Amino acid sequence: MQTVTVAIADADLGRRNKLEQILQGEQGIEVLTNVLSNGSSVTSNDQPRLHAGMVEVEDIIARIGHLRPRILFIHLDPSNEANFALLEALHREYPETFVVLLTDKSIHEEHVIQALANGARGCLSHEADPFHFLKAVRVVDRGEIWVTRRMLGKIMDKVLH
Amino acid sequence: MILLASSSQDDLYRWERGVHSLAPVFCSTNLDSVRDELVRLKPQILLLDHDLPRLDGPEGIAGLMKLNPETRFVVLSRTISDEIEWGLFRTGVRGCCKSDIEPEQLKAVVGAVQQGELWIRRSLSWRLLNELVVMTREKNQIKRAVGELLANLTRREYEIATLVGNGESNKQIARRLAITERTVKAHLTEVFRKLDVADRLKLALIVKGSVSPNDTTQTGR
Repeated sequence: MQTVTVAIADADLGRRNKLEQILQGEQGIEVLTNVLSNGSSVTSNDQPRLHAGMVEVEDIIARIGHLRPRILFIHLDPSNEANFALLEALHREYPETFVVLLTDKSIHEEHVIQALANGARGCLSHEADPFHFLKAVRVVDRGEIWVTRRMLGKIMDKVLH
Repeated sequence: MILLASSSQDDLYRWERGVHSLAPVFCSTNLDSVRDELVRLKPQILLLDHDLPRLDGPEGIAGLMKLNPETRFVVLSRTISDEIEWGLFRTGVRGCCKSDIEPEQLKAVVGAVQQGELWIRRSLSWRLLNELVVMTREKNQIKRAVGELLANLTRREYEIATLVGNGESNKQIARRLAITERTVKAHLTEVFRKLDVADRLKLALIVKGSVSPNDTTQTGR
């Protein structure tokens, strides 16, 4: 089984560590740390900060360019417009990195659709069962998407009308 | 009400077993009956056999949809290609599954579609997301192009263009901006030239389409 490389971009250390633990125990999944171009490894506190403003989108894209994860979990913060710009840039510059959104209960469906429209390939609640995170990695890695049927219904309405 | 449509009695029987607990069920065995019942019963769901004689594929299904746009279509088929199946969803079908689906599974399909969900194979669903991405990208490109055009307007010209977009007449604009109507017309002539449009309607469409209500970034020069 080919190893799937995964990176996590979430400013919340507790959530990030919890997801890392779920993923690291699984055979065939490698969770990446932030390896800089000079080859040194840094701690997980240096994971891409995705709650930065527009100016740092380019910096974050560059870091993803170094890491080149197959799957990138990103916490979606719809109050930060830079998130959507980042998704669009990632989809354009690194289409081989598949983004899966991490959301909390307060997220509006329209924001999720906007993020999917900007190139994300899936969406999961932070509270999802660990099994679903592992399955989402496998499903998205083989080119499919991880989106609820309800969300697909809303997307189809948007596409057709 | 759920309308079942198939020329196969076996299929109708099996489908009815699956969905009878969800809503009252009515069966049609030919296309003419389906047309009549769509209009008469206005069912919430139509389970439609893809092999129903004279159905004529996506075009025929699109025609049926017009008879009652509120009805959600679920198409059941023996074996169809991914392309044909995707074509059905592009027509507006809300679910596709095999004709010989187990009753309990069919119940789950119909239940999901009743809730507004889309019953589509995961291996096809990426096409939907791709369409959304392409559509969004094209929209954004148009918005950017229009934004660039509008950026060529002076501040006053942009102001007047926005007011035209809000449906105001030259007289109203003149009064609002404390200038003469003649001056408004002169500015508009220049706006039309810069944006290469011939009339107020096209101008209004451009302005309305390019700017969201809270967007204050367009300032002109």
